[in-house]
Amino acid sequence: MLKFDSVYKRFPDGTEALRNISLHVPKGQFCVLLGPSGAGKSTLLRMLNGLSSPTEGSVHLAGEQITERSVQRLRKRVATVHQQFNLTPRMSVALNVLSGALPQVAHWRAAIGLFPPELRQKACRLLDEVGLTPEHVNRRVSELSGGQQQRVGIARAFMMDPAVLLADEPVASLDPRISRGILELLHRQSRNHDTTVLCSLHQPELAREFGDRIIAVNQGRLVFDGTPEQLTDQVCEDLYHGALAHKHDAPEVDEAACEPELELAAA
Amino acid sequence: MKPRANPNWNWLRPEMNMMKNLSVNRDAKWHLNQPYNARHLMFAIAALLILAVTGSRMEVPRMMQETAQGVGYVVGLNEESSVATGVMRIAESIWPLRISEEIEVSRIENFDRNDLPWLSHVEVIESRTPHLNTETLQLEETIESKEVLVKPVGYLAHVLLKMLETLEMALWGTILAVLLSIPLACFAAANYAPNRFIYNLARSTISLFRAIPELVSALFLVLAFGFGPIAGFLALGIHSAGFLGKFYAEDIENADRGPQEALQSIGAGQIKTLWYGVLPQVLPQYIAYTLYILDRNIRMATVIGIVGAGGIGLELKGRFDMFNFDHVGTILVIIFLTVIILDQFSARLRSRLM
Ligand SMILES: Nc1ncnc2c1ncn2[C@@H]1O[C@H](COP(=O)(O)OP(=O)(O)OP(=O)(O)O)[C@@H](O)[C@H]1O
Ligand SMILES: [Mg+2]
Repeated sequence: MLKFDSVYKRFPDGTEALRNISLHVPKGQFCVLLGPSGAGKSTLLRMLNGLSSPTEGSVHLAGEQITERSVQRLRKRVATVHQQFNLTPRMSVALNVLSGALPQVAHWRAAIGLFPPELRQKACRLLDEVGLTPEHVNRRVSELSGGQQQRVGIARAFMMDPAVLLADEPVASLDPRISRGILELLHRQSRNHDTTVLCSLHQPELAREFGDRIIAVNQGRLVFDGTPEQLTDQVCEDLYHGALAHKHDAPEVDEAACEPELELAAA
Repeated sequence: MKPRANPNWNWLRPEMNMMKNLSVNRDAKWHLNQPYNARHLMFAIAALLILAVTGSRMEVPRMMQETAQGVGYVVGLNEESSVATGVMRIAESIWPLRISEEIEVSRIENFDRNDLPWLSHVEVIESRTPHLNTETLQLEETIESKEVLVKPVGYLAHVLLKMLETLEMALWGTILAVLLSIPLACFAAANYAPNRFIYNLARSTISLFRAIPELVSALFLVLAFGFGPIAGFLALGIHSAGFLGKFYAEDIENADRGPQEALQSIGAGQIKTLWYGVLPQVLPQYIAYTLYILDRNIRMATVIGIVGAGGIGLELKGRFDMFNFDHVGTILVIIFLTVIILDQFSARLRSRLM
């Protein structure tokens, strides 16, 4: 369903965000993407919805290469939960969720905000599923908490019956209980509707629990690709600590030197 | 870990360690610049030079001298001041304001003495005209008595009607400006223009509109559409479309990209993206700009009549040319009051919309 063919991404300032990524995700798979901050997870996901294009190599969606020509058509089946939520701040929660179905709504309906009843019902159902309550519906998004906004973004992504769901840290601002609920929702979508899910996370435990497959990137390279069982604590240690440690040698912490300051702080 | 004397410190410890580990380069040289340098000094000198040259060309010193003289005259320090006497002569001829209207009965067609207009009455006015008696070579006065219809607030009503016409001109000028500037702004926003050519075309149209002052375009539009409000509101609309187009386009360009990306990434198309990703973000600003333009158009509409484009300006010019300064005074007071009332109104409207 998703295919990366030796993809490189260089930003104009010279940052190499992706280096030689080759990857194939079959249809219906729940694939979790791990990697430290700045590893290139968001960049990788943005290749798939056409918000970014590879400097070298090619990205394929359902057997078709994403090019400037095909992107408008292909992206209509790809939903994204954005890392920064990307909601329209002064618009109501209801309209934000409904805007996820905009490609399939007639222009005149969109212009006056008259969405068909079945989409309205769907929006309500989704808001309920992500744990929001009816009193939130008419509020402006900017009047919600971070976690509530994130859930609005998730509901919006589900509005379009996606074939591919890209979720960029969808549980970053959520408490453990809601995080679990959201990941279960994504998991169910992939099971029941055969949706291919690519979801970046910062929690290896959750990745192990929910992923069919786990891949990890670090400094733009694909450094791990395997089943949840293969993601051992050692791999996580290498991914998050090993990488940082060989980038710059942090000096040993002199524990004794901390002591006097701490005493002052405690006093 | 070695045992701690005070267990309270322990919860702090992991964080302290983490902070140490995050420092990427301990030898990095940090340097904060001073806020001023030689360039700022040069700027200051250049600015002073420009002020000195232009100030002398604008006769700023003479202005200050004569103003000081005027103030001195008012407080009784010096004997005479041309500025003060000029101002006082105008003030004397403006006051008292004239709000009534008198029409000679003989000039009114089908005058019906038993059916006078509301609030009006008939008066007999005697006017003395001195002339030379050719037989006696003496200066004599002939007394003519005229019957006039006096409408006590007739002129005020006339001015208020003209003011209403002025407001309507400003309103339609603003409506025209909004209608013109929305498509212009979409084409003149770099991230929504369909192509380079249309982008440049829209940009230059906006600049052109802004570059033509209302009074100049009204002069020509009066030739095309004749005296009256059409020329007025067209001129206002075109000029303010230049402003609104520029403001709107800049807002579209500077709107937060996040929501727009979200809609682009599902293939919502440009129009829907503008409608759902940009408009809600910029709407309060749009309304503020539009109210500002309406405000400005009202003030502009009062003077645009001077070139014949309708509204209260036309009346003002007529009275001014006939030296009817008491009428001019009434007009000025009405303009002044209208602007104050509208200021209050638009401030309230703005605070409610924000
Ligand atoms: N527009 C850009 N221009 C230049 N560099 C960029 C740009 N976007 C991202 N980068 C760089 O590319 C690298 C990868 O960024 P990316 O956003 O993909 O990281 P990430 O894995 O999503 O991190 P996080 O977990 O913090 O979200 C980073 O080093 C980042 O600084
Ligand atoms: Mg990211």
